[in-house]
Amino acid sequence: MPLPTATPSGTAAVRGTAAHEPGPRRIRRRRGPARAGLAHFAGFGAPGVLVYACFVLAPIAVSFAYSLTNANPFNPPTRYVGVHNYWMLLRDEQFLTALRVTTILTLIVVIVPNVLGLLVALLLDRSGKFYNAMRSVFFTPMILSSVVVSVVWTRLLDTDGPLNQALRALGVHHPPDWLSDPDYALYSVASIISWQMLGFCVVVYLAGLQGVPVELQEAAAIDGAGAFHRFRAVTWPLLAPALTINTVVLLISAFKTYDYIKVITNGGPGAGTTATIAFNVLQTGFDANHVGYASAMAIAMLVIVCVTTAVALRILRGREIDL
Amino acid sequence: MNDRIPWLRPITALSVTTMFFVPLYLVLTNVFKPGDQISAAPASLPRPPTLDNIVAVLTRPDRLFWVSLTNSVIVTTVSVLVLVVLSAMLGHYVARTRSRWARALTLVLLAGLMIPPQVILIPITDVLRAGHLMATVQGLILFNVGYYLPFGMFVFAGFIRTIPVELEEAATIDGAGRGQVFWRVVFPLLRPASASVMIFLGVWIWNDFIDPLIILGPGRGTTVTTGVYRAIGQYQSDFGSVFALMFLATLPVLAFYLALQRHFVKGLTGGATKG
Repeated sequence: MPLPTATPSGTAAVRGTAAHEPGPRRIRRRRGPARAGLAHFAGFGAPGVLVYACFVLAPIAVSFAYSLTNANPFNPPTRYVGVHNYWMLLRDEQFLTALRVTTILTLIVVIVPNVLGLLVALLLDRSGKFYNAMRSVFFTPMILSSVVVSVVWTRLLDTDGPLNQALRALGVHHPPDWLSDPDYALYSVASIISWQMLGFCVVVYLAGLQGVPVELQEAAAIDGAGAFHRFRAVTWPLLAPALTINTVVLLISAFKTYDYIKVITNGGPGAGTTATIAFNVLQTGFDANHVGYASAMAIAMLVIVCVTTAVALRILRGREIDL
Repeated sequence: MNDRIPWLRPITALSVTTMFFVPLYLVLTNVFKPGDQISAAPASLPRPPTLDNIVAVLTRPDRLFWVSLTNSVIVTTVSVLVLVVLSAMLGHYVARTRSRWARALTLVLLAGLMIPPQVILIPITDVLRAGHLMATVQGLILFNVGYYLPFGMFVFAGFIRTIPVELEEAATIDGAGRGQVFWRVVFPLLRPASASVMIFLGVWIWNDFIDPLIILGPGRGTTVTTGVYRAIGQYQSDFGSVFALMFLATLPVLAFYLALQRHFVKGLTGGATKG
């Protein structure tokens, strides 16, 4: 099967529902006519599963098959090369750079919106028109296309763009070239992604804050806990599910970062200073036509995403408590 | 809990939000500004505001905007409607079946939530070409349905588990078939879940960039998002057009979002936190 690594996270997420079923009841249910179950699947499950199998599972299988060959549409014949492509990856300077770029980007995009999102949510956790309007501002980037966000920020961070004009006005003589200086570009792109993802974290944390009982807060206040103490002992543990969602969603979306790179830097400046694995997969597969090698890269990326997400889920779920 | 310094929170909130708002302001102000002013004074207010950029985009001879808009509307509407129906049914199967096979299926679908599109994009072109669906709107729709199905399925399955199974049993005793039970009894109760699935998938599919770029290809196929991308290439100096195009591309999704905003936040948290 294409995805053996996904199993741990799966068990973690489904455990909640599975644990509720007492043994005897399950047996009784399963005794029900097996044909009814089949009819239920044929009528309800099959159409969706069929599309999923054709357009997701089959391509992954094809991708894996390609990864064991030297497939290149412009350089036939295609031969079976075993795990050669995977060995090449480990020694490919370009891939290792992409791995490093992706890791840095993912770390920033997981941490920064999480931390800032929590602070903003705490700040805006009040009712009234004023705070509603503020919240809407933070939510808006969520509905913007990554292409639109990229174009706007490219203008904003341009060498002579508004940001640098403002910095010059403040007396900075040589403000950095945010997007064309290899030392800054990756961090600039990560900040842009963080800006767009911040709204998502704010929504999730605000919803989490709604779930914190006022009584608990008041009880802690009566016991003499200050604001910071109340947050650490009462609010933060109860925000664990919100932290789980945010971290997992940010992790998955940061790993597949492509749009921003394509529009803002196209992998540059210099040699792949902002090229993520996702970016290299498509460059190698479509522009350079090394389909076999690109597929190996894609499969490696899939394994990394699944393992990282599974580990993160396991750790984060362990922190969650039920009220 | 009351704040000890009452004015501190609103002032901080306002300044933080203003900083965050700057990029959005940049779009809004430059849409209504003549092109030369955009590069000269990108941050200034449009004085006087002009609709020239918008008119220019709407009346382009190649009708880029209208073609893209039609494609985007068709792709998004059809994909979302098919997804709601298929993922609600699949969610019902997964939520109401306790066999080992159904649980294995859930895991395989769960894995689908993590799959980066890049992993399937190279082979998907072969799959679509084999079905003569490459560079067609139908092909993109089918890809969307397969790719986003796990998300819809999980939202619906989570929601269906909160609906008492006795309701369905009662309808069955009254003589309703499985299909009738689902469409007449269960599906109407799923409205909040349907709303959040529609909003999320609607926004994602509308804004999707890489999938339409590759599946629809460089030929006639353009959605509003890939249209914006092409416009930056073609009209590098004409930023007025680019900003107007971005503004127009966002308007429909903005209207959609504002209309369903209430469900948006509720759907996000309801489905998500109960996992």
